[in-house]
Amino acid sequence: MKERIFAAEGLIIRTRVLGEADRIVTLLTREEGKFEAVARGARKTKSKLAAGVDIFAHGRFTFHRGRTWPIVTSLDPIERFNWFRDNPDLYPYGLYLAELTDRFNSGEESCPEMFQLLLDGWQLLGGDVDHALLCRAFELKLANCGGYSPQMHFCTVCGCEVSLLFSPKQGGMVCSRCSATDAVKITAGTLALAKHLIEIPMAKVTKLRAGAEQKSELAGLTASFFAYHLDLGDLKTRRLLPE
Amino acid sequence: MVYPGSFKKLVEVLCRFPGVGPKTAQRLAFYLLGLSRDDVVAIARAMVEAKDKLGFCPLCGCLSELDSCSYCNDAGRDQSILLIVQEARDVLVMERTGQYRGLYHVLHGALSPLDGIGPEELKLDRLEKRIAEKEVSEVIIATNPNVEGDATAGYLARLLKPYSVRVTRIAFGLPVGGDIEYADDLTLSRALDGRREM
Ligand SMILES: [Zn+2]
Ligand SMILES: [Zn+2]
Repeated sequence: MKERIFAAEGLIIRTRVLGEADRIVTLLTREEGKFEAVARGARKTKSKLAAGVDIFAHGRFTFHRGRTWPIVTSLDPIERFNWFRDNPDLYPYGLYLAELTDRFNSGEESCPEMFQLLLDGWQLLGGDVDHALLCRAFELKLANCGGYSPQMHFCTVCGCEVSLLFSPKQGGMVCSRCSATDAVKITAGTLALAKHLIEIPMAKVTKLRAGAEQKSELAGLTASFFAYHLDLGDLKTRRLLPE
Repeated sequence: MVYPGSFKKLVEVLCRFPGVGPKTAQRLAFYLLGLSRDDVVAIARAMVEAKDKLGFCPLCGCLSELDSCSYCNDAGRDQSILLIVQEARDVLVMERTGQYRGLYHVLHGALSPLDGIGPEELKLDRLEKRIAEKEVSEVIIATNPNVEGDATAGYLARLLKPYSVRVTRIAFGLPVGGDIEYADDLTLSRALDGRREM
């Protein structure tokens, strides 16, 4: 039996209005996975909760298990990632990471790696980093959290090591003998970049720079891979990214 | 429970109002039944008339009579100031202060990429056109003080930079009547930013 009162460290990845003054928030938590909760009165100007139950909020929340949704009873704010509200260029990027995470994560099973990934992503976007590369690294690592990482090191079919074709359908690199119809040629530079992004920790992405061609090739690669395997073709925020 | 058919229908219709559940709907239904026939007709007629005669002004987006906007066509208003709000109901709230005498621009939303609402959906080209063509000297942005509203304000400020117009954001501070002790840190820091000379 679940406790009536519980606490969790969470990131708010989505909000919507409920009734006259309430807000429903979608939280990704370190301990309890992803779930929706109600913040009562959060849209009133005098609400003590309001500032802490908005999108991009990071805090320690306590909940009371309600009949339909858990109810946020108190919170201890940790970070608000104010750069997303202050900088209109960063806002869509922050939301893109949120939407991707939301769509990728289906239920209440907790995944601390995913929580940490989003936390790192939001944190790093506020600093000196190539936004597009950060998004690609985030996408690849998110896929890895779900066990869907594309195979970049050798041919997915025969295992040989000479392959510069990427096939979303076959789940990664393929050689010319094994390639399916959807395989596209990618340059050695883009392949190296993709491998590198998969391996390095998020914080190291801040040091990376890449040419426009490599970035657009890599963007096409991750987009097609996600579209094929995860049915994430229709991401609302992606069309508002400047890339 | 067995209700007469037309009573049931009335309750069902009333339930469609925001925030009205079956219990309140029943109470309202009994209230209506207690009124004279003329009163009920007057209520029904007011609803239909409002629906027929009111709309959003094509220029400013305010709720107005279809043939003439009571804000845009009011010669006593300062045509050089525009106050931008998210919703038409925000205009009514601003009007209640009796302090603002300029014109309005209603966005009918805020930038919310997760809901598929971008600059195009807010028809910001209409706002730009208005500022380019009319004698506007100041734009006051009064979108909501949440992430969405702030991001929208930032976007608008940048969008309007090329036009020689003063862009301001309304100040956010402490709610009147409360104790500072209970204010959250973000509200307090904004209140400090928006402080004024005494
Ligand atoms: Zn092969
Ligand atoms: Zn008007």
